[in-house]
Amino acid sequence: MIVNILVGLGIALFGFVLQTGIAGTNRKIIGRLQKRHGPRWYQEYIDIFKLLSKRSVSHGWIFDFGVIMALGGIIGTAMFMPLTSNILAFENYDNFFIFVYLLAVGMLGMAMSASGSGNPWASIGVMRALTTMLAYEVPFMIVVLTIVKLSGTSSITGIQLFQQTAGNNWFLIALPLGGIVGFLSLMGMLGKKPFETYIAPAEIASGPMVEYGGKQLGMLFILHEISVFIEVSLFVHLFLGGASNIFEFIAKYFVVYTLANLISNVNGRFKIDQVVKFFYKWPLLMAVTQAIVAIYFGWVI
Amino acid sequence: MMNSINNVELVNNLVNKTIEVLKYEVIDKYQVAYEVEKRDVHHLLITLKSQGWKQLSYLSAVDWIADNEFEVVYILFNWDKPVHIQIRARIDRENPVMETILPIFPGAKYYEREVHEFFGIAFPGNPDYQKQLILEGWDDIPPLRKDFDPQAYSDKKFPKREYPQDYSVTDPKNQRKAKRDARKERATSLRGGKTQ
Amino acid sequence: MKSTKFTPRTILSNKEIDRKWWEIGDFFRRNSLWLLMYCTGCCAIELPPAMTSAYDMERLGMGPMATPRQADILLVSGYLSLKTLRRLIYTYEQMSEPRYVVGLGSCTINGGIYHDSHAVINQLDQYIPVDVYVAGCMPNTEAVMNGFVDLIEQIKLKKANGWKKYHKNFDWYKKNQLDSLGEVIVHDEFHQ
Repeated sequence: MIVNILVGLGIALFGFVLQTGIAGTNRKIIGRLQKRHGPRWYQEYIDIFKLLSKRSVSHGWIFDFGVIMALGGIIGTAMFMPLTSNILAFENYDNFFIFVYLLAVGMLGMAMSASGSGNPWASIGVMRALTTMLAYEVPFMIVVLTIVKLSGTSSITGIQLFQQTAGNNWFLIALPLGGIVGFLSLMGMLGKKPFETYIAPAEIASGPMVEYGGKQLGMLFILHEISVFIEVSLFVHLFLGGASNIFEFIAKYFVVYTLANLISNVNGRFKIDQVVKFFYKWPLLMAVTQAIVAIYFGWVI
Repeated sequence: MMNSINNVELVNNLVNKTIEVLKYEVIDKYQVAYEVEKRDVHHLLITLKSQGWKQLSYLSAVDWIADNEFEVVYILFNWDKPVHIQIRARIDRENPVMETILPIFPGAKYYEREVHEFFGIAFPGNPDYQKQLILEGWDDIPPLRKDFDPQAYSDKKFPKREYPQDYSVTDPKNQRKAKRDARKERATSLRGGKTQ
Repeated sequence: MKSTKFTPRTILSNKEIDRKWWEIGDFFRRNSLWLLMYCTGCCAIELPPAMTSAYDMERLGMGPMATPRQADILLVSGYLSLKTLRRLIYTYEQMSEPRYVVGLGSCTINGGIYHDSHAVINQLDQYIPVDVYVAGCMPNTEAVMNGFVDLIEQIKLKKANGWKKYHKNFDWYKKNQLDSLGEVIVHDEFHQ
């Protein structure tokens, strides 16, 4: 049991280190894209440690407790994430729905803490975050349920193994429409540009994070990195056939995250109602079409 | 479409029919100015508003301190005819009161507050012309009056930076002279004159 | 004496440990300076070239931030009227420590071309402590970047102590603020 917990914490730590490094590399890539020199690749680490080294103010115990609860919830979620098809902390507990429920703990903690600050921008940001969540979850869930139906298991490892066995394809190729929907939902989850409505630094002053400074903001950055790790890993495992070894995982992870970032940087920002309309129009239609085609007609490439 | 000279003539006829004009000035072919009596301003504004000059572009004042008078200026704008109309009215400087034009142009509320703040002109009829708008907690005579000295106010209120040495580039005369002297002295010493 | 596993280590004093932690913290702080741009003056026009591909301040780890709580540097670009100075003091006191102030342009130094205005203050450092001034009307973008590099150097040499000065001489700063402003509290009819 203790070994399992240690392995789980190790996975969370690995996720943090990996995602922070890749995020820094991506900042460099984006800098080169905009014909700039760009920051150092380890800039994200410096930012986080700087934030942890600053003094900060408190707005009451809910404000402080919410941050810690959110960070704990996210680390707890990351502990269940399989890195490859055989590196896994808790055997048989890597069900997809565990992630759906546990991610909510982190989000709830952050919402609670942000509302505790009493800043109106924070309330607007939290409301927008929940609205965006409502928008992307519906098409994403339909696609994932299709995958669960086809592979006959809702365990992430099971889905990975199903895709890796001979004769079965990656779900990105087997369900092309579903793959597109999954990627769009991933962009929504990560808060990348067209769906960046709830951060929106120029519009609502970075939304839920508006009152955080110093140590609390540092913890929120760690939380953000780990939650990005969870979301991108879910996409890799569900649609890209998972990974049989750690290097394959890192390569796939890097490609998915960089692609999302590149798309993000050539886009403007939607308004919140446009986000909801968008997700309920094309992705939902594509997801339902994919589900009907795959389950009732059995046309899987 | 009418050309602009016709527009100016049209305005001229209209204004002359309505009230008695003290002074008339064509600034260019898009702007005309009328100086009228203080009591005629409201009547003229109502007439012009009904004829299409329905936007009050600006309301300000000028301090004619030598005449001991303020001049209130209303600038009207028409969306159909390219003519701006300025209406100027002189009021007494010692007791500056101008009836509000709020019933005619409701948007004048903030202009009147601003004019009151910067010139001290009272606008009876405007419920909150005395509220502060731009200057917060002002404690002197209104700042755009000509007898207000901004330099003195600034010196009194805001500390000046004191430089231990004058770095001005406009007064290097003494330095130049000293340099010239040094050069001359060195030249004489090189020529075999007096050494130091 | 050669130190071995068995020789007792010299125990560092608390002050020494504190100093070492500050040095580590300073490394992170000077390599990741986030700006809060208080762009009410004309010098703000020098910041777009400093941020984008011409001079690219992100390679120094600097970047714009949305709120005072998140930021490290308060960048005052140009003249401050009485009205904006009240908001500036609010903003400065909201920032989390250590915090630094950079003043751009001659308006923040001695009033610049507004030295005789009834509405514009003359010296910023009478009201809040300033770490780096960049002179010029307006300063070149090179000068602005040079100012940032100077600030980084000052943090390295532990000279950027403006926020400590503000704590130490709080009464003096408050007295100056009250003398010039009358009161610092903002009364705003549109937000009450």
